[in-house]
Amino acid sequence: MVRPRVSSLRVELDALVAEYRRELPQKLAHLDALLAEARLARLKRELHTLAGSAGTFGMPRLGEAALAAEAYLDSCGSRVDDAQRAELGRLLALLREASATIERP
Amino acid sequence: MDEKRVYMVTLKGGAELTGGKTSLTAAELELLVLIDGIATVEQIAKRIPLDAAAAATMLAKLAKDGYVGDPDATAALTVRAFLKESEAGLASLQASGFSVRIARRRPDRAALGADEKLTVLVVEDDAALAKLLRTYLQMEDFEVRTAATREEITKALREPPKPDVVLLDVMLPDIDGFDVLAKMRQHETLKDVPVIMTTAKATREAVLTGLQRGADGYVTKPYDMPLLLHAIYIVLGLPKRADGAWSGPA
Repeated sequence: MVRPRVSSLRVELDALVAEYRRELPQKLAHLDALLAEARLARLKRELHTLAGSAGTFGMPRLGEAALAAEAYLDSCGSRVDDAQRAELGRLLALLREASATIERP
Repeated sequence: MDEKRVYMVTLKGGAELTGGKTSLTAAELELLVLIDGIATVEQIAKRIPLDAAAAATMLAKLAKDGYVGDPDATAALTVRAFLKESEAGLASLQASGFSVRIARRRPDRAALGADEKLTVLVVEDDAALAKLLRTYLQMEDFEVRTAATREEITKALREPPKPDVVLLDVMLPDIDGFDVLAKMRQHETLKDVPVIMTTAKATREAVLTGLQRGADGYVTKPYDMPLLLHAIYIVLGLPKRADGAWSGPA
């Protein structure tokens, strides 16, 4: 039998996963805004955070896509030219695609 | 001693790096991480603060225990051919760092009493992930504290009871996780607290830095929760019960 406290914590766990997924579109839109404003250091940090959390919340493809975008941004240095900005835009679009794939965490 | 002798990490050695537990010393783990495929004694000795003779001695011990192999020319060629064929996989690994789950076992401690709880300090700046870890570890009957900034970490480490184990994210907003680790290892009362470093991107250098500064474990995100729990039990030195289950706090 599942202990009552564990049972309530499990409900809380499911709620946290649901909340993460609900807030995801807003997070992805924020990444687009950071790129548009050329706030690259912040963009890198947000991608790093997403890379670390998405897989744990049951979206491993999103985590991998975020890691790839972070690695590309790393390779660009502190400024990006138009071609690099376009590539980053493409990588961010891939995040949106990847966020549609959900597995059980 | 032949400095051109080639060593490769065996499947057993690879499993030691990724299996979530190890009985090897920090120096031996460093060697395995450094070999990272195949390397000569000369190449390995250049990467560590050891002379070639000391490196060769340690490699011989690892070879005797089956963690590294001593391939002949044909086997080495086969490994090189394999690495070439796996270029796409390698490129992906290089882009994403590499996944590690290292946990060094501490000496066994007594099984916990019925009402005894262990405290985990989770240092994680992603609020959603911190909440998830807190809830999961509470389900396993741990007491959990969380911290994200330098100030919060200091406060959480000072708060009694002393944490039994710390999960320490490498990249934090206002302090480097490695610096936190180094400070803990110099601190009179915190120096023996087991620390597992956590990160979304593990480079070979980062893993080595963590091990050299005294981390007990290194786990890459995303978390596989049962494996993370396993690593925690390992570094805490919790014994297994007769039925094979961990005699953890649950």
